[in-house]
Amino acid sequence: MKSLLLVFCSVLCMVTATFAQTRQVSGKVTGPDNKAVAAATVKIKGSTTATSTSTDGSFSIKVPAGNVVLEISSLGFATKEVSVGAAQSSVSVSLATQSSDLSDVVVTALGVKREKKALTYASQQVSGDELRKGANFNFMDALSGKAAGIDIKISSSGAGGSTKAVLRGAKSLIGTSEALYVIDGVPMVNNKGGQPGSYGGTDGGDGLSSINPADIESVNVLRGANASILYGSQGANGVIVITTKKGKAGKTTVDFNHSTIIDQVSGIPDLQFSYGAINGSDYNWSKTKSNYYQNNYVKEFFQTGVNVTNSVSVSGGNDKTTAFFSYANMSVKGVMPTNTYTKHNITLNQSTKLFNDKLTVSSNVIFAYEESKNRPGAGYYNNPLTGLYLFARERDFNSYKTNYQVFNPDRNIYKMNWYSTEEKQNNPYWEINNNSKLQTSSRVIANVKLSYDIAKHVKFETRANIDYNDVLRDNRYAAGGNSVSVSPNGTWSYTKYNDQALYADGIFTYNNTFGSYSVSALAGASYQKNTFNNGMSVGNGTVALMYPNFFTFANMPYNVIFNQTINRTIKQGAFANVQLGYKDMFYVDLSARNDWASTLALTGNQSYLYPAVGLSGIVSQMVKLPEVISYMKVRASYSQTGNEVPFNVVNPWNSINGSGGPTGIGGIARNTQVPFTNLKPEIIEGNEYGLEMKLFKNKIGVDFTYYKDISTNQFLSLAAPSGSGFTSYYVNAGRIENKGFELTVDAQVINGNSFKWKTAVNVSQNKNLIAELIASNPNYQVGGDDEGFASVIRAGGSFNDLWIYKFARNTAGQIILNATSGVPTKAATQEKVGNVNPDFLLGFNNSFTYNNWYATVLVQGKFGGVAFSKTEAFLDSYGVSQRTADARDKGMMPINAIQGTTAVTSIDPAIYYSAVGDRNKIMEPYLFSRTNVRLGQLVLGYNLKSKNPNSIIKDANFSLVGRNLFFFYKDAPFDPEQSMSTGNGMQSNDVFGLPSTRSFGVNVKFTF
Amino acid sequence: MKQLFIASIILIAFGSCTKDFQATNQNPNQISDEMLKQDFNLVGSPFSGMLYELHGNQGSQTQEDLCYDSWMGYMNTPTDFVGNVNNTTYYIRWNSYWGRQYGNIMSPSKQVIQLAKDNGLPLFATWAKLIRVLSMSRLTAIHGPIIYSNYGSTASTILYDKESDLYNTFFAQLDTIQSEFGANKTYAGFAKFDPSYKGNISAWMKVVNSLRLRLAIRLSKVAPALAKTQGEKAMADPAGLIATNADNFNISLLGNIMPVGMICFQWDDTRMGGPIESFMVGLKDNRIAKFFSPVTDPALYADHPSSPYKGIRNGAYIGAKIQRVPFSKVSTDFNTVQTRRHFTASEVYFLKAEAALRGWTGAGDAKTNYETGVKLSFDDWGAGGADAYLADATSKPINYVDPIDSRNNFTTPSTITVAWNEADSRELKLEKILTQKYLATFTNTLEAWVDHRRTGYPKIPTVAKNDSGPDWGVIPAGEFIKRMPFVNAERTGNTAGVTDAVSKMGAGAKDDIATRLWWDTGVATNF
Repeated sequence: MKSLLLVFCSVLCMVTATFAQTRQVSGKVTGPDNKAVAAATVKIKGSTTATSTSTDGSFSIKVPAGNVVLEISSLGFATKEVSVGAAQSSVSVSLATQSSDLSDVVVTALGVKREKKALTYASQQVSGDELRKGANFNFMDALSGKAAGIDIKISSSGAGGSTKAVLRGAKSLIGTSEALYVIDGVPMVNNKGGQPGSYGGTDGGDGLSSINPADIESVNVLRGANASILYGSQGANGVIVITTKKGKAGKTTVDFNHSTIIDQVSGIPDLQFSYGAINGSDYNWSKTKSNYYQNNYVKEFFQTGVNVTNSVSVSGGNDKTTAFFSYANMSVKGVMPTNTYTKHNITLNQSTKLFNDKLTVSSNVIFAYEESKNRPGAGYYNNPLTGLYLFARERDFNSYKTNYQVFNPDRNIYKMNWYSTEEKQNNPYWEINNNSKLQTSSRVIANVKLSYDIAKHVKFETRANIDYNDVLRDNRYAAGGNSVSVSPNGTWSYTKYNDQALYADGIFTYNNTFGSYSVSALAGASYQKNTFNNGMSVGNGTVALMYPNFFTFANMPYNVIFNQTINRTIKQGAFANVQLGYKDMFYVDLSARNDWASTLALTGNQSYLYPAVGLSGIVSQMVKLPEVISYMKVRASYSQTGNEVPFNVVNPWNSINGSGGPTGIGGIARNTQVPFTNLKPEIIEGNEYGLEMKLFKNKIGVDFTYYKDISTNQFLSLAAPSGSGFTSYYVNAGRIENKGFELTVDAQVINGNSFKWKTAVNVSQNKNLIAELIASNPNYQVGGDDEGFASVIRAGGSFNDLWIYKFARNTAGQIILNATSGVPTKAATQEKVGNVNPDFLLGFNNSFTYNNWYATVLVQGKFGGVAFSKTEAFLDSYGVSQRTADARDKGMMPINAIQGTTAVTSIDPAIYYSAVGDRNKIMEPYLFSRTNVRLGQLVLGYNLKSKNPNSIIKDANFSLVGRNLFFFYKDAPFDPEQSMSTGNGMQSNDVFGLPSTRSFGVNVKFTF
Repeated sequence: MKQLFIASIILIAFGSCTKDFQATNQNPNQISDEMLKQDFNLVGSPFSGMLYELHGNQGSQTQEDLCYDSWMGYMNTPTDFVGNVNNTTYYIRWNSYWGRQYGNIMSPSKQVIQLAKDNGLPLFATWAKLIRVLSMSRLTAIHGPIIYSNYGSTASTILYDKESDLYNTFFAQLDTIQSEFGANKTYAGFAKFDPSYKGNISAWMKVVNSLRLRLAIRLSKVAPALAKTQGEKAMADPAGLIATNADNFNISLLGNIMPVGMICFQWDDTRMGGPIESFMVGLKDNRIAKFFSPVTDPALYADHPSSPYKGIRNGAYIGAKIQRVPFSKVSTDFNTVQTRRHFTASEVYFLKAEAALRGWTGAGDAKTNYETGVKLSFDDWGAGGADAYLADATSKPINYVDPIDSRNNFTTPSTITVAWNEADSRELKLEKILTQKYLATFTNTLEAWVDHRRTGYPKIPTVAKNDSGPDWGVIPAGEFIKRMPFVNAERTGNTAGVTDAVSKMGAGAKDDIATRLWWDTGVATNF
């Protein structure tokens, strides 16, 4: 690594050295407050020679002999020209703040840069520095709370786990409704692996964890379809635009960053250790209290997680060529014993100007290798936490821990040592030591971009990109484990596939001004071919391997099927956008895109066109506003986006069903789906209205958006009627509405010379209404009962309403007890008890600086919605929760019930808790408010700047970092934002997921 | 405008380049009809899968093991599924056979019948129709009215067939099937696709006759004239009945483990039933070692120390699963068998024995049929001692003791013996026949549930724990479950059809588990 670094440094040095100069001018750039302005561009007027200032505002540039004029520019400041005399060797420059954010430039769809004032839709940019403050291992985790209107959930499976990010609510019934991720203008593959369900499984990860957060210059959140129409259907759920770091002309910079973060389990359920089981039962319903049972084994099971990240980057260049290189590695030991994760990232990009700077050739290559071992899962099967939590208290856990396997002389093989034969219980130590889960991903994202200035106002850009990811999931379960989930000779589940996305586009842009009028136009076309899950999977399940504990294809019995998998789509798009401006105060934006989607082949609807129109006006330019309003803009836009359907649903073929017997062939399972040749794309209409203001001389900024999105033509799958001759069919139907607002307020609360306090509040609300699914069948629903938890999408409700069984009650509200046994009874049908999505999101981010000290405090809150814990339901019915011990301590527990005609006011806890909970019983007691407010991030740091321009280390930064430190409020017994699944169905639900963690550590950064 | 012009050219270029879309949108791992035409696989290839689905094998646990296997006392679960309130205790949690038969037999066979016609292979359509009758005659025994003659309708309401009409349709279709088979006895086209008989048409003709006899016997009380006509026709048909174990209609498991083996050994979710323990231990039936595995803990079978087997009462009170996991598993043979029985010669002889009691022409002698049925079953299972068994006139079923929970104990309701006694009443003879038929049809138990509802034989205890209630219908103490309700998808998606179907079950019928099917007359006497 070190030698590689040296090579890169020398390459960059040579690039810099090849230029001929005559003299050196140095100087310092400051702002109006006399504070250094870092990263300001210092350019020789009339030349392309430029450099940028370092963090202390200083710069040094080689200029030709004689008088020169330097142009100094920086975001947020007015550009200034300074004359430098022939004999002058140093200069001080003071920049004035730009009177508003008029000149803010943001990266929009397709990598097109636009002035923020001209945008007709909402966007919010977060800098890479801000994202890195908390030393999160996933940049989306870091974004949570820092941008409005984005609901982010992180898998509870730890490092390398997947993320669910939804902008403006769920819009599509079949898709994930997750945002599109775009790197430097090109859509990125985010093909999510399988997610755990009630019965088990492990998070299969997604495409986001392979991105090195240190490579990110900024992230721009385009929340609505209005902003993303140029991406076509895939942008219908909003876009996260990632701009990566590039080399800058001027000095070579080397950054080194190290962080060590400690994770601690913070959310272990409240368990009792004083009441055991009777007669060897699995259930801890003894009424005799003991003070001698082991009580530390749950806590001792988990370990302290350690995440170590190192990254180094080298960047530099001259006015012709710039380059950026980075390497990062991450090494993680999870809180679950035996869980590890390692990641290596290499990024290299360069940009070269050719042909009198008319042609710019740039390229970017990202390599990522991730390896995760024994990533924790969730659910009943093969999960160490079930056995760990439900363990019968009177037994000797330590002996099961030490002797998690025992020798079975009948087979000359070890077998699991566990007292219970329940399908969901395993010896936790057998599970973590003998069942190995390996997941690797090897990814390359490579692209080339040519940008050619055809004429003064016309530019042509073309890009080609390949995103290739090779994924392996190899889970091995040893012979002698739980016979329900593991074959007598062991179980092997092997998946290997690659995801490949090819992308190419060509775009003409035209920018010109005619007096008071300005025109920005673009037109282009794109081609995209995605081939996902191209590979195979095989699993012997409970069919025995031929020889025990040997996991290879040759050891598979004949009757195991090797599945080949593929999912491929081609999409072609043609698009155009024109923006007309008048006097920098009024803008009209018109866009249209036509898509051709292979998934709609045969339907006649494979080509579909959709438009967008937007208006924005800078009110503060048009009329004289009160003094306090320094800037005011209003905007409105309307868009329509099409969304194609999944692969291979129009007219699938037949599949080979089963291996056949030793003497016969396997049968063909004929496709019995009704052919769907009139399938149409889903349509999402977006309306949004916004107001942006700067108040009190830009001290306070306000950005407000109201939106309403309507999705129609939903792609719905229905079971065909029994007598119809088919088994399933699809229809286009339904109407889903999402409306809400997003508000960002940022303010410089205190802006003293040494002490500053900046604050930003991001709030948003989304209301989702399933206005209609299938008009002729009002009872139609998507999703159904999943072991006592039903997350349902049904007309009149909202996306993912939670339906559960409550107690059967009489009209007086008394719980009806069984007339003879006195056991609480369950209502006949499930009842809607809320929605698992939050109503209202809050992020409250504060940054304080005092001289070189700084601190940031991020408070995150999500309000509304319900959460559901099946873990607690099991803990209660097994009598292992503290609540069951408390109830037993008191003897009887109060209840408002009726048995026959007799009112009952108290009940035996054993009878009560045996009747509720478990898998499918009365789930009412396990419903919690989803609302939680936490101290999401706390950073305390010190910036050390070298006064000596010749010192090797230019500046350094040390910080202490804490994440998820504590909750100001939380009702649920688990953290609803650290979810067991990032799929659609199991949100805000916990079935023996990994307990939530809190993290703290140190972060160190050096710039050379 | 130049750029827009160029863009338009690109657009047109792309626009015309969508011809590979259709191929892209096909899954290359699926097989097309065109591909299946090779070696004439198109029409025949779905058959092994359809035959396999006759037992609804993949759903066996919820539709077989926790239903009639348990209700008839063959098997029961040691697991307290859903808090011990489930199908086994008459509270319906699972109802899945319907969906499997329509989805995996009726729907593909509809295509097969059309493909057979299109490809000039009409005998495959005949074969598919026979599989439909095999499937639907099982389904109607579970629910009563079913969708059959209106199957494939595009109407929004699809009406069910009344049971009396349905059986007439079955018989008429069996006539056609038999004549079409009869005209093509040497046809060899099925061979590759037929794991059961390797395409032997004559063997299938025996299945047709045997099936006709099975259905006729079902109707012997409710429609005696029709039953007699059809039964005699079955026995008189020159193609003959399944008469030897070599003729048995066994279905390939297509490489899958026998469901009861999977449920028992891998999931520990099923064990020997208490009632079959009572019969087999009491009657000293050697087949017990072929059906079940002995237990190791003598405390479990202290009530009969010489026979190391212990079952679980039907509809039992179940505590922690661990308590009854040590009870008798099925025989380990079920881990390795490649086929399962669907129609055996033994069952045919018991059908003929009953037909003889009813005086049907061609049935022969009841005693001979009865004893042949028992011997064929012993042979088929590889058990010895059939002669001594048949001679035993004293051994009787024993009372059952649950070593865990005495609430599950029962006094045997049956006092039947094995040896034939010509002096017995016809009622007692019928009980004897149906008790032996019950034991012989182990692992294919639906017809035993039919016999029990139809005749009350064999005499088994009622469920120990009765959780039936208003949701699915109340089964009074001393009574047994009568049918399975229609499935929820039909109740919600074809409401008018279901309402009509309920009216077709007769006055006062409800779509619940307490409504009798057509041939379940409720009349105690059988003659």
